[in-house]
Amino acid sequence: MIDPRRFDSVLSKIIKSEPGIRKIILVDRTGLTIAHVSKFSYVSVDVDGIGAIASAVFMASAEQGSNLTIGGLDIVTSEFDTGKIFASACGRGILTIISDAEVNIGMIRLLMRKANEELSSILDEFLAGQPSRTFSGIDSKAPEVRTGLEKDELEAALRELEKF
Amino acid sequence: MRKDAEGRHRFKIVFYGPSLCGKTTTLSWLYHKVDGLEKGKFTQLADPHGRTLFFDFAPMQATTGVVFDVYTTAGQERHKHQRKIVIQGVDGILFVVDSSSDQLQENIASFEELTTHLGEDLGTTIPLVIALNKRDVEAALPRSELIERLKLSNYPIYETVATTGIGIKRAFQSLAREILMIQLYGTKTSQNS
Repeated sequence: MIDPRRFDSVLSKIIKSEPGIRKIILVDRTGLTIAHVSKFSYVSVDVDGIGAIASAVFMASAEQGSNLTIGGLDIVTSEFDTGKIFASACGRGILTIISDAEVNIGMIRLLMRKANEELSSILDEFLAGQPSRTFSGIDSKAPEVRTGLEKDELEAALRELEKF
Repeated sequence: MRKDAEGRHRFKIVFYGPSLCGKTTTLSWLYHKVDGLEKGKFTQLADPHGRTLFFDFAPMQATTGVVFDVYTTAGQERHKHQRKIVIQGVDGILFVVDSSSDQLQENIASFEELTTHLGEDLGTTIPLVIALNKRDVEAALPRSELIERLKLSNYPIYETVATTGIGIKRAFQSLAREILMIQLYGTKTSQNS
């Protein structure tokens, strides 16, 4: 199992490389936020919610392109009054960069391409141990043998649900 | 089941059903009125009339190691592509039925769509719980008729009134429990093999 801190170190390197970048979120294609880094801000951000939206928007745009038979999706760019959001495919996930409005778009695109090279294999390895449930079918075998800790965590959650 | 970078187990639950059946109301009740689970922020992507445009989302933490990411879908016909995206990676479905007599065909169409998307995984590796919602409306169809017409007899069924919260917590508890049981002990099929 890959050490999740590897994501932090790669994302931290990216966020430091361009002054206008405020936040980076790495999500999978089901809406799950996997990792995120931020520059200091007084504004608290709901990372889970933003990650879910970023994943959904990217996947919806990709679906549009597929329906229109215009090829694969490279990048989604959203421009706001005081900021921008970029989302691009990164292996089995989606890399989302939130930036200031004045950021150099060309530089961001370049950074995202380089990040893709560095992150996609780590991400694919991280996600490899997790069942992939898509319309193409899912592995419906019995669950893998859980470690003792995993089993304890799931059983503890079951007990909490009884009390809830 | 997936894990996030903090090592927490993340289970995706989706509330599915026809337009205006009460999916958002159900999630909203669960989020705002029911204690017992620690909740993250409630995210809604809605149009100016309050109709769900893409999805609603709220993470709910059962323990420090287990989180349920709960989504609703947009029920209108024109949002079918969005529904297909939201349902990716789902671990459990709460199908919300509109008990109103004039919504029977919409319920059937929605359930057929869901079955098309998930195939034989629905109700086996992806547990399915039914919420027969709007049981308080005057023209509510009898429970037996809904079960027969929608072919729901193999699934756990709860009668709900999402506007007042009746049955909501039990339906959600049932689904969350089924999801965890599958993770721990497998499906009925795999247990027998």
